[in-house]
Amino acid sequence: MSLCNKGTAAVLAVLFTAGLHAQTTALSPSDSIKIDLPADSPLNLISTTMGLTLRNAGARHIRGVTLLITAQEFAPGGKGSVARPSIDVPPGENFTLPIDIRLVRPVRETAGPLVRVQLDGVLFDDLSFYGPNKLNSQRALTFWEVEAQRDRAYFKQALQARGQTGLQQEILASIAKQADRPQLDVSLSRNGPAVGSAVPSTDHMAQFAFLNLPGAPVQPLEGWAAISGNEARSPQIEVINNSGKPVRYVEIGWLVKDKQGREYLAGSVPASESAMVLPAGQRARLQQDTALKFSRAGRPVEIDGMTAYVSQVEFADGHVWVPSRRDLDSSPLLRITAPSPEEQRLADIYAKKGLPALVAELNRY
Amino acid sequence: MNHPRDNDLALLAGGEAGPIRRFLLDRHVRTCADCRQTIAEYREFRAGLADQELPDLNWNFLAADMRANIRLGLEAGACVRTTHVFGGWNRRLGIAFAGLALLVGSGFFLRDLRFHRPAAEVSAPVLQMTASGVEIRKGENSLTLLNHHGNAATNQTVSAEGDMEVRNIDGETGSVTINNVSLQ
Repeated sequence: MSLCNKGTAAVLAVLFTAGLHAQTTALSPSDSIKIDLPADSPLNLISTTMGLTLRNAGARHIRGVTLLITAQEFAPGGKGSVARPSIDVPPGENFTLPIDIRLVRPVRETAGPLVRVQLDGVLFDDLSFYGPNKLNSQRALTFWEVEAQRDRAYFKQALQARGQTGLQQEILASIAKQADRPQLDVSLSRNGPAVGSAVPSTDHMAQFAFLNLPGAPVQPLEGWAAISGNEARSPQIEVINNSGKPVRYVEIGWLVKDKQGREYLAGSVPASESAMVLPAGQRARLQQDTALKFSRAGRPVEIDGMTAYVSQVEFADGHVWVPSRRDLDSSPLLRITAPSPEEQRLADIYAKKGLPALVAELNRY
Repeated sequence: MNHPRDNDLALLAGGEAGPIRRFLLDRHVRTCADCRQTIAEYREFRAGLADQELPDLNWNFLAADMRANIRLGLEAGACVRTTHVFGGWNRRLGIAFAGLALLVGSGFFLRDLRFHRPAAEVSAPVLQMTASGVEIRKGENSLTLLNHHGNAATNQTVSAEGDMEVRNIDGETGSVTINNVSLQ
């Protein structure tokens, strides 16, 4: 009895679990997925046979796309999305986005499509945006693109200043950093403790320590979260806008330390939806009512300390700030932060195709 | 001297005895070296278990399989229960059952509540990373965005606002796909 079904196409595998009998059924995308692209969309749907093949029907280069996935009967209280950042699709060209979904529920007859796929946003090379933006895709795609520009510029500068040897040293350092980066398994829930909390003793409030990045327009002042063993709940952090411009979004990177002194990137604490318009010089509190449970290799990781830093800022005029490469090198702690999708992609090109392919990619745009 | 049962000592060793039972057991153990020794052995055994590496298993699969077996057992039990076992009213047996029900009911209310969550939380949607992808689960229903071609995903990121995302790199094109699930 197979509980998992993987397809090479845009497979919608539906797994019925009815207690005694479980079976896996792969459904045809044409019957089970409804794909909605607005009439004025800059993307045309070309095919659903090998993932979703889309064509750039607009006049500008596309830098990123996000699709919203909903399956209300299977995931009440939640939704999904599939995003493709760090791309450069010229007008008239096709690209493919893989969407592999598994749905599980008790046996029940259903008519009509099970999954709805909608376009949530497209980001262009001039950072303009198209789409309903229900998932705040504009912000996410813009942050990824600004990080991509930062990292491409960094590796291009290494190539220009120190030649291919210098570029090779930098990309090897990036690969080593990604390989050494310790990762945690995290489960997340709202309204109460995360499932499987290992030590459900009485909460205690733990304070955040802060890493202040020299160029950050927003500075964290104080913050804390409720800790129970391997679970952290309801983080809240007070920040001040030190820039001269109003800010509409801040995200704080959240690092945790275990009892053995190992540090991990736990996640992020963003400003809540619509709660944030922070004028210059003013303070605001970022507060989230969720519970995060940390484990590694199936074993709970008890939290012994927490550190936070400002990882993203969006100004009211739509411009965004991300830490510079120098900021990220300013503390050994920040070695454990995730690389940008673009840095990861460039490292993958080097690892699979070698230095000439990486140089050609950097020279492309 | 009457000694407590071994399973009570095991519960005490693990910190899982209810408050009243814990009080009674503590009072006995303070004056009984044999029981103290037994508790120490249980604690040593638990510590040894905690140091064991967990095997790399698909725990979701095992959980589903166990649920299925339990349901199978319940259904089989339901068939058996259609047979009338009791021919008539037995007063002593009734009193015994009433006592048992009282005991079970008391145990339920006196148990250590720290180890149990309200039932509502069990059905709250949970985001988690599994071997096959990133998943939103609510009760028996779930939606999983699968890792591309079954590859291991990299760089899981969690937002305390209620988002979880993982990255997949396409083996052929090298493009990065970011799968995300979020609580509404």
